[in-house]
Amino acid sequence: MTDAVSAASAASAAADDEARILDRGYRRYTGHRRGVGGAIRSVAWQGLRSVLGLGRPARAKVLPLASIVFAYLPAVAFVGIAAVLPVDLIGEDALPTYSDYYGFIISAIVLFCALAAPEVLVGDRRTGMLALYLSTPLDRPSYLAAKVIALAVALAMVTVGPPLLLLVAYTFEGAGPEDVGDWLVLFMRILIAGVAVTTAFASTSMAAASLTDRRAFASVGIILLLLVSASLSGVLVDQAELSDLWWTINLLAMPFELAQRIYGEPGDLPELSTWTVVAANLAWTLAGAAVVAWRYRRLRVTR
Amino acid sequence: MAPVVLTRALTVQFGATTALDAVDVEIGGGVTGLVGANGAGKTTLFSTLLGLLRPTSGAVSVLGLEPRRNGRELRASVGYGSERNVFPDDLRAYDFVRHMAEVRGLPRREARNRASDALWLVGLGEERFRPLGTMSTGQRQRVKLAQAVAADPSLMLLDEPTDGLDPVQRDEMLGLIRTISEEFSIDVVLSSHVLEEVERVCDAVVVLDAGRLVTSGRLTDLAARQSGLVVELVDVPDRPGTAEAVAALMRARGLAVETVGGLLTVASDDDAALDAVRDAVAEAGARLRSLGGRHRRLEDVFTQPDPEPALDAEAPTGPPRDPMPT
Repeated sequence: MTDAVSAASAASAAADDEARILDRGYRRYTGHRRGVGGAIRSVAWQGLRSVLGLGRPARAKVLPLASIVFAYLPAVAFVGIAAVLPVDLIGEDALPTYSDYYGFIISAIVLFCALAAPEVLVGDRRTGMLALYLSTPLDRPSYLAAKVIALAVALAMVTVGPPLLLLVAYTFEGAGPEDVGDWLVLFMRILIAGVAVTTAFASTSMAAASLTDRRAFASVGIILLLLVSASLSGVLVDQAELSDLWWTINLLAMPFELAQRIYGEPGDLPELSTWTVVAANLAWTLAGAAVVAWRYRRLRVTR
Repeated sequence: MAPVVLTRALTVQFGATTALDAVDVEIGGGVTGLVGANGAGKTTLFSTLLGLLRPTSGAVSVLGLEPRRNGRELRASVGYGSERNVFPDDLRAYDFVRHMAEVRGLPRREARNRASDALWLVGLGEERFRPLGTMSTGQRQRVKLAQAVAADPSLMLLDEPTDGLDPVQRDEMLGLIRTISEEFSIDVVLSSHVLEEVERVCDAVVVLDAGRLVTSGRLTDLAARQSGLVVELVDVPDRPGTAEAVAALMRARGLAVETVGGLLTVASDDDAALDAVRDAVAEAGARLRSLGGRHRRLEDVFTQPDPEPALDAEAPTGPPRDPMPT
């Protein structure tokens, strides 16, 4: 009994030694401050959360979540088919190639662009957050860099994630590359192709979103820009019988065409050289970036 | 001590419109009110101080830094509360303040703690997890103040912090701003078009009108510039015209007097003037209700601006500030 009391007393004394009075409340801060890099990380993270509807009501999560589900659903289905039915039985051609996979999720990617880019850019101009951000160590270029990171990471979830899921799942099922070297090459192709598609669509959709202060207009504008450019290129080449180079104005197809070339496939437009496809994507990406830079340079932010 | 804000011949033009016209301002520590009607150039001045606008000509210095050249360094030390009151509705107050503290340079853990502390400071501790869209105008104004103060700035620029508030909320907000400035040695420049609230809370004032500087200086100095006496007489029904009689007697003694009803304003306040008032009241048989010094209200600055602006290169407009404790 005495031992128990002693032990309790000792424990109590130890607890007293560790006890502290926390004087909470506002006070001056003299510690370390992060620079612009920290500000960019914070705005990028907040932008990503906003796109995905995190920390927001359930209704804000519905469309982003639906787009992501649409992007991953075919991958899950193909993985399931490969797991249930042996490849020897169904044949290798029954499963799509990694570059073909984009064909199944074009709608999901376009929908995600139309949701994400306006969410990343338009809201700040409408709500006054842009002026608040620019009153911090961020300036316009660093603010835009943060927004590009937010949109690119969000888009990568639907452009890089699903092919990576396929690769990993196929590998576990024994349907992936057998050689480690081949596996690494495929892995790199998935990453590079995903980054290329992400960059092209991020640039295009940000350019469209930078031109209006209404989210709905921006979303519709992005979809129209992609669809109209696709239709127009078809009309110019197929109907008007102009040069095949007019395919390069197809903002919807060019990124996926580049992805196919990265996977070492001839693509849907073999009449265009790989360098032409690369140049077209580079040009459209730079053009989109130039529009955004022009718009934000001219934007007068006073409050 | 170096001024917090210093401008020299600051001019900002938008095309053919001159938003600020050769403005010379020197603002010291404490709370300074930037006063002017809508369109006077208050927000333009704030934007220029933050480096968001490039001056057409002239020079600007804030905390000893040039906004366009040292913008990042400067803005890391400034908390800004914008005029617009439409932040993301979905975001919780705590998340918003924490995020802005991070963007202003605080490490994540520190930003989390200080977001809560700042929201408690402005009286929203219990409400800190509510979405901004569900908050009243008064609460949103407090959230704006919390995000401006959370990262511990040296200077806060608050654009119309009492806009949309009822009188009680306005008093509370002004008291809060005063407290923050005094207790934490944070200099504040707040803009307002309500003269009375600036008079109540500010140490100094900068008055703008249509982009031009009307006057600037410490409120005590501005008030002292209008010396004189105010004589209030009791209105006695059976003795009409006594105010005019008193005024006539004082004028006969060489004093400049204006009358408004039973209120007489005398231009001088020396002993001879006091004697003259006493004698005139007695001689006219009037009854004196009050006799006091004449104080110039801020409103008078607009109606009777100084012929020479109160800019004094040797004396910033605010009181001297002790070095910040570290």
